[in-house]
Amino acid sequence: MLRVLRNRRTRGYVIQAAVLAASLLLTLSFVLTARDNLVSQGIATGFGFLDRSTGWPINFSIIEATDRSPYSRMLLAGFLNTILVGLAGLACATCVGLAVGLMRVSSNLILNVLGTVFVETFRNVPLILQVIFWYAILTHMPSPRAAIDLAGLGFLSNRGLMLAAPAWSALDLAIIALSIIAALFAAHRFGGTRPLAPWGLALAGIVALSVVLLFLGHEPEMPLISLPELRGLRFVGGVTIKPEFSALLIAIMAFGGAYIGEIVRGGFLSVDKGRLEAARALGLSNAQINRFIRIPLAIRAMLPALTNQYVWLMKATTLGIAIGYPDYFMVVSTSINQSGQTMELLLLLMVGFLLINYTISGTMNWINGRLAIKGRS
Amino acid sequence: MADLAVRIRGVNKRFGDFDALKSIDLNVASGERVVICGPSGSGKSTLIRCINRLEVHDTGSIEVEGVELSDDDDAIRDVRREVGMVFQDFNLFPHLTTLENCTLPRIRVRGALRAEAEALARQELTRMRIAEQAEKYPDELSGGQQQRVAIARALCLQPRIMLFDEPTSALDPEMIGEVLDAMVALAEDGMTMICVTHEMGFARKVADRVVFMADGRIVEEGPPDTFFDAPREDATRHFLDQILGA
Amino acid sequence: MPGGALSRPPPAMAGRLHQLRKRLFSNWFDGIVTLLAGAALVSIVVNLVDWAFLNAVWSEADVSQCREVSGACWSVIDARGRLVLFGLYPFDQHWRSTLACLIIVITMILSCLPALWGIKRLSALWIAGFGTFVVLMYGGIFGLSVVTTEQWGGLSLTVFIFAGVIVLGMPMAVGLALARRSKLPVIHWLAAIFIDTVRSLPLLTILFAAAVVVPFVVPQWAQGDKLGRVVVAFAIFYAAYQAEIIRAGIQSIPSGQEEAAQALGMNYRSVVLDIILPQAFRNTLPSTINQVVITFKETSIVTIIGFFDVTASASAAVGRGEWGAYYIEIYVFVALIYFVFVFGLSRYGAYLERRTRLHHG
Repeated sequence: MLRVLRNRRTRGYVIQAAVLAASLLLTLSFVLTARDNLVSQGIATGFGFLDRSTGWPINFSIIEATDRSPYSRMLLAGFLNTILVGLAGLACATCVGLAVGLMRVSSNLILNVLGTVFVETFRNVPLILQVIFWYAILTHMPSPRAAIDLAGLGFLSNRGLMLAAPAWSALDLAIIALSIIAALFAAHRFGGTRPLAPWGLALAGIVALSVVLLFLGHEPEMPLISLPELRGLRFVGGVTIKPEFSALLIAIMAFGGAYIGEIVRGGFLSVDKGRLEAARALGLSNAQINRFIRIPLAIRAMLPALTNQYVWLMKATTLGIAIGYPDYFMVVSTSINQSGQTMELLLLLMVGFLLINYTISGTMNWINGRLAIKGRS
Repeated sequence: MADLAVRIRGVNKRFGDFDALKSIDLNVASGERVVICGPSGSGKSTLIRCINRLEVHDTGSIEVEGVELSDDDDAIRDVRREVGMVFQDFNLFPHLTTLENCTLPRIRVRGALRAEAEALARQELTRMRIAEQAEKYPDELSGGQQQRVAIARALCLQPRIMLFDEPTSALDPEMIGEVLDAMVALAEDGMTMICVTHEMGFARKVADRVVFMADGRIVEEGPPDTFFDAPREDATRHFLDQILGA
Repeated sequence: MPGGALSRPPPAMAGRLHQLRKRLFSNWFDGIVTLLAGAALVSIVVNLVDWAFLNAVWSEADVSQCREVSGACWSVIDARGRLVLFGLYPFDQHWRSTLACLIIVITMILSCLPALWGIKRLSALWIAGFGTFVVLMYGGIFGLSVVTTEQWGGLSLTVFIFAGVIVLGMPMAVGLALARRSKLPVIHWLAAIFIDTVRSLPLLTILFAAAVVVPFVVPQWAQGDKLGRVVVAFAIFYAAYQAEIIRAGIQSIPSGQEEAAQALGMNYRSVVLDIILPQAFRNTLPSTINQVVITFKETSIVTIIGFFDVTASASAAVGRGEWGAYYIEIYVFVALIYFVFVFGLSRYGAYLERRTRLHHG
């Protein structure tokens, strides 16, 4: 026996066989124990439960989901909630991050200081604490009766932010989409070679077409914009942005913005000074250097770190459960509590996040590939 | 038959589609100094790396000091005890001082105590004429100094055979001399040496036998006088013309 | 050559003042930005100082004093601070909790001394430090009364989870990194799949799985208590990330070194412990510290699975009682606690990064 272990090749085989056997045994024991537990608790396996109605509601959803909806719909609602706050958070955090990063690399001393204070403040405090903090602030807003008036377009209360919203029917949306496509097509076709012309034409075209078509095809009584109005104790009309959503969004925006700010700064600092000197020697102005050399190179340098940050921020949306935002994780965990279908639901949870994960990395890698500087690496 | 240090018989080695070694037969006697030369890609490095199992030969047999090389741990361990190697890139451990580079292997491999290992290390460093660099880190030494430390490090395990894989190819010209001098001194002390090198002056001075390899085969071998002055094969002649200049 | 055709450069202005002018008012646009941003900065600072210091109440035991004042009510920290730091730990044993946390802080500071940078030395230090922490907190020997883990809370629980994750996770990370580098296909692929799967999941999912799923698939006797399960799961999560950092470090070592070590007859254990790992860690020290810092922040997530760490204790301290309106002060207090640890560690990491760059530059 020992002889076998003293020979490198056979030792390799023995170790691999042992590890494989151990893994299989472990998995088998998990499965058997789980099965015993399922049987003793009288829970059926399989995904049949997805058609059962849940019996419990969620407080926010962009698709139709009530306490009579089946599990499949609830899970979808949760998944969409995650994507909604995730994409909104990523977009806002990127804008904030860009601004902060530029402030940090600016030559202006005060902008530097402001940027640094922002980054250090929001980066060094855990995200969940920030989420809880903003939620506490938003829920301590005055009640709807005494809501803060935002120039008539919206109201801020402890029930959320009420904003004026477009009250467009499906037909209206279709008209707008068509007019955008038509205008872009016309711009592409007739724009000519001057750089600003296609964009200007497209913009003008979209606006003109939309206005004309909307007024032409519209029913007179239905208003185009729905304003929130106080009726009794609550607001009706407009769109309500719940504090759960806002708190999570603000926290992701600040925390993510701080990290993205550092990535942006890193990207700019990594641009080779030699290239910038060559550009200056060629007589390019500062604005031209920024536009044609500094910014494109900085963006390429930032992409890998930015990809990691985006993936991380999407996963961070799970913290919404701390304040009651019904993201995918919260819906899954409530479902596990209510239905007992632990393994199936956990599997769905993992699949959902792996899906989001690979979509983001895949998209970013595609962008990276398109932008990458061709070379011998 | 004289004491054979290394016996290589019918050795073949492939890397994927490429035949690096084809039917190599080579015997090296105890105390003999062999220089292996040839164009790049001829398989010379691969051959000597097979001798201490850094590469694994596919067919044939390699015996070092009577021990046959195989996948057996004990065989490999015994062989590596008797064989020391010096690399083109020195491969000193950058996080250890010169002295620690030399004492660590002895402490770990032979189970020596620190005091004994240090005494031996200082002895070998003195032999290589760099005893005063004992407390420096490799980064702080020149290429020639680092290579001499590398030789001392290998010698600390008191091997019977030393392999040299192009020991001066990565050095600036002015430092080649000090390393070659160290190797000459080693040869004069009676060490069995197998050197892959382009330094023909060294070969003439020190080698008992010069082996010329091309395309994975041994093309010609012989004592330096006949090898340099009257090569038999065309390939050998062609190579010597290139190396020694027109 | 006196005076002359070639114009001489203008006399340099007083160094500092000139620098300042360039940074603030280099052109008219810059000047406007400075004035606007400066005004914003000044207004923020003034309001902050006003709220936090000038109009604040510092330590009156009576909450009515706070209501009369427009500034911060720092006395809430006096009233509720112990809850935040110690959780539900028995009042008269708070000295044990304090001492235990101090020991971990000392362990961390000692880890920064290069003299202790050796695998055996660091392991011994951390095992000693963490062991002392657990003994002090739990008690049962040396005449200390037993305090079970359900009563651990606040900052001491956060420190426990953090130290536990690092002490358990680091060896796992080394093992995973070496496994992923193995030439044996089964080992290599199992490690790769494990690491990549763990890294693509949110931490919360993994902790949740540890709290909820493990009791389901593991027999009663192997389950351990909830805190232990969560620390182990968290350690696995940390190990997956740290393993990738270590692997990058190993890859940055020229392969010739491993060959030289093998040629010298060193066995696998010796090659890894003496040659590969010391260099891998030195090469990736900044990333490692960054990961440790992130782990400290992430301990706050255990709040969600019902643990009474320092974040949860903040919400509990605010509560609905008479101090309920002063949630901002408590959250700021907790944020400051995190800030001190996290900022301190990050600065140390930046210092190390500068030092290694100078050394190799």
